[in-house]
Amino acid sequence: MVKRKTTVILLLVAAVLVFLPLGVPRFYTYITALIVTMGLLSTSLNFALGYGGIYQLHHGVFYGTGAYATAVMITKLGYNPWLAYIAGPLVAAALSLVMGIICIRLSKLYFGMLQISLGSLVWAIVFRWYSFTGGDDGIHGIPAPSMIGSSKGAYYFTIIVAGLAMFLMYRILHSPFGSTLQGIRDNAVRSQAIGVNVRRHQLAALVMAGFFAGVAGVLFVVVDNSVFPDLLFWTLSLEITIMALLGGWFTFLGPMLGAAMIVLLRTFVSTVTEYWTFAMGILLMLVILFLPEGVLGKVFEIWKSRASAEDRG
Amino acid sequence: MSLDFLAYFYSPGVVCQILVGLSRTVILFIVASGLSLILGVLRIPNIAHGSLYMIGAFMAYTVSRVVGGGITGYWMAIILAPLGVALVSFIVERGIFSRLYEREHIMLFLLTFSFSLVFGDLVKMVWGADYRSVPMPTSFQGSIPIFGLPFPIYNFFLLLMGPIVAVLLWLIVNKTKMGKISRAAAVDREMVGAVGINVSLVFCIVFVIGCFLAGLGGALVAPIVNVVLGMDHTLIMECFLIVIIGGLGNIWGALLGSLIFGLTQSLGILIWPQFGIVFPYAAVIVVLSFRPTGLLRSTW
Amino acid sequence: MKRAMIVGLSVVLLGFLGVSFSYGANTIKVGFVDTYSGPASVYCFDVVDGFKMAIDAINAKGGVLGKKIEYTTRDEKFNPATGLAMAKELVMREEVDILAGTINSATTLAVSDFAKKEKIPFLCTFAKSEKITGEMGHRYVFGVAENTRMIGKATAFAVAKKPYKKFWVAGEDYEYGHAVGMASWRYIKAMKPDAELLGQTWWKVGEADLAPYITPIVQAKPDMLYMATGGVGNLNFMKLAKAMNLMKEMACFLHTSIELSNLQALGKEGPEGIMGTVNYLFYYPETPENKAFVAEFRKMYNRPPKVGALYGYAAAQLIAKAYQKAGKIDKEKFITAMEGLTVDSPVGKLEMRKCDHQLMLPMFYGVTQKSPQYPDFLIAGDIMTIAGKDYLPTCDEIMKVRQK
Repeated sequence: MVKRKTTVILLLVAAVLVFLPLGVPRFYTYITALIVTMGLLSTSLNFALGYGGIYQLHHGVFYGTGAYATAVMITKLGYNPWLAYIAGPLVAAALSLVMGIICIRLSKLYFGMLQISLGSLVWAIVFRWYSFTGGDDGIHGIPAPSMIGSSKGAYYFTIIVAGLAMFLMYRILHSPFGSTLQGIRDNAVRSQAIGVNVRRHQLAALVMAGFFAGVAGVLFVVVDNSVFPDLLFWTLSLEITIMALLGGWFTFLGPMLGAAMIVLLRTFVSTVTEYWTFAMGILLMLVILFLPEGVLGKVFEIWKSRASAEDRG
Repeated sequence: MSLDFLAYFYSPGVVCQILVGLSRTVILFIVASGLSLILGVLRIPNIAHGSLYMIGAFMAYTVSRVVGGGITGYWMAIILAPLGVALVSFIVERGIFSRLYEREHIMLFLLTFSFSLVFGDLVKMVWGADYRSVPMPTSFQGSIPIFGLPFPIYNFFLLLMGPIVAVLLWLIVNKTKMGKISRAAAVDREMVGAVGINVSLVFCIVFVIGCFLAGLGGALVAPIVNVVLGMDHTLIMECFLIVIIGGLGNIWGALLGSLIFGLTQSLGILIWPQFGIVFPYAAVIVVLSFRPTGLLRSTW
Repeated sequence: MKRAMIVGLSVVLLGFLGVSFSYGANTIKVGFVDTYSGPASVYCFDVVDGFKMAIDAINAKGGVLGKKIEYTTRDEKFNPATGLAMAKELVMREEVDILAGTINSATTLAVSDFAKKEKIPFLCTFAKSEKITGEMGHRYVFGVAENTRMIGKATAFAVAKKPYKKFWVAGEDYEYGHAVGMASWRYIKAMKPDAELLGQTWWKVGEADLAPYITPIVQAKPDMLYMATGGVGNLNFMKLAKAMNLMKEMACFLHTSIELSNLQALGKEGPEGIMGTVNYLFYYPETPENKAFVAEFRKMYNRPPKVGALYGYAAAQLIAKAYQKAGKIDKEKFITAMEGLTVDSPVGKLEMRKCDHQLMLPMFYGVTQKSPQYPDFLIAGDIMTIAGKDYLPTCDEIMKVRQK
């Protein structure tokens, strides 16, 4: 019942996405592309956090690395953009592997803090390596292939790639690997006892999460044509976590919904007031205090209770 | 990268650089010790600690504006600003935090993050977005020559304040009854509650003291930096890392961590100025690779 | 709960639609992207204040071509990512006629690139990177503020007669810092062939604790230190200079050290003896135009104008006069009309140079000192005026860098 409702809504949303650029001003196309990118990013975070139970506190570093790798390859090393788009996520995945190997020995908060310190190291290097990465200025005016250079082109590229990525993540999470991962999240000791290599599974999950974050980074470069060191700073990582939490981190589509809400709110609240950060802080507080399962989580809960009430007759 | 530093080794430049690094250590230690206290006893990773540091600096500015510059204004700022921050933290703790001690760490972490967002904008609302300059009292102005190089007098004053605060903190934690109770509560809060002690009150006091320290750090650093929005962001990350490498909840660990941070940065600048700020992070990674739970014993 | 969801969704939708509608089409819309929060904002408020003062007068006389000039602002928070996003929103949603801003050079370059793509005129009203009208200049961008090439040349002009041989450049590691530091050094070296650069030091933008960086410089003993900082960095440096009495060890030169925003923020604690350059001083020259400008600004805003006010005011005059000359509201005609246009300003007549779209502002050089007339802050003494045509890089120089 829940699944049928979800599928219907998804189809509606997909239809809207496909036809959006034809009807609305260019700005909304741009915003939607941004939402889809951030949604992909927070879903990739949730891959590790919600489904894996890993304290992924600095996920943004993989996103930023994917974006910067792509940007640097195109502008400083002169690679063909298509090549860079494929290489970017691979670099992010490689970083994820390296960081994962270093951090995986620790658990919970320690894992998170070590990840933050490693991530901060990456940020500091990118931030200070002015000649290679543009430092504080970032890199801008990154050219895209003419096919996807226009607003519409970038938009369709984004929703196609993001759609594929989301689909892939969904299949992985609903495969035996995904079930094992969730089993580890719920009870690592028991999983170990029945012969599951906990470390290896978690590492694989981290690499996958990092890869998809890198894909989101590539999409950002396509949509915005620039990269900035902020993409690697810890505040962004926490913002992505807020998106996942707001949407509902025990659901697959929750983070995407959370991303949509945050990006829309930020865009429109910023035109009215300069205190968006305050508003986001209050919003986060309310979610933690009253809605810890997130908006989508709450919606599903209600649908389920309604469905079971109907079944009971 | 300049390898000339090898020739520098016993030069006045290095001594001065070490002293400068130590004065930064003092500020880091004061703030990080507060963070460590809260983390050790209440098990809350308080990201808003950086915002409280910032509020301390802004309050110091306001006090010195109201009372007037000069030495009285300064000392009043140093005393009143941290008290103001302590008051704010008291309200927050009684109002919200005390109800949430049972939640998972990541939720508390995110809750303190939401507070840092709110405080950040509150500071903007109250004080506006301008530069704020806290006047340096005349007795602290100028510099004294260390091996011929000018070393600001105020930094010297900080070097004296550091050990004073450390000793006072040690006395409170180890020699007072409250300190002993809070150390016990850090290890086993249920037991402490069972013995009949009001754990909630203990937590409140510890939280307020920790935040007082953050405010004190902010007030002390105000005359030498610019009091601006955003001064909380890098500081809080540094303090967290200091606490982690020192050992959660361990005050001496916070001192050790601050020493490592302050010195690696200032010496790093001497060796490789462009990447000076990378050295502390690298040091953190080295420490955590060998001692993942921190250099000194943690209270967890 | 279902009702609540419907209400919630409708609110979001209404928000989507509602906020999208703005002013009518009978106005000329200028969109400012600038830093309105954080330390740099103190400069930027002056820009829109000067702009507003000018357009109020223009609109009172009936506007331009029968239309009133309006403006709207967006806060980039001194962050290029945010600034670019704001510029996109202004163009794609608000549909402004002209973009203006910003104080952050990196944002300006990013927005300039965007303006080129969108074919919309963009007036740079504060950022100073020479790339803006130099290497990355193009038809759609105009420099209303001075640029680092100009600053560098003016610096060399100012110290040409001084006996300094050994130099050190230090500052913040970003576009403006590198540009102003290196430009100054290049032109100093051109004017003084036997000058020597002992070293360079760069720290991260906004770094507050400069003592570890400055101490090694003192040890190296240069004759003159050129400070390549901006915004908060200026204040951090000037505070440290006072604490260490750096002026005793070496000559210190900092662009905008004599500017009111900095000196006012430092108050009575400001360091005396720091050399500097700036494009506007409210107390000099004491011409009728400047006095009238200052009086009107004081009446409207209850404070003396800072350099940003000049940029904003000049921008407004340029926009109004260019549209008038163009005869219609057309972006291309507007640009053509801007080229070579001369407008009146508190510092005299200013020409928007055709070859590189750079406004030819005069530069003032001075040294910080106390003044009995202004007890709350330091002012500039020993003032020297350098005319625009004397220190702007030549059109040939600009064309050469654009070729590369």
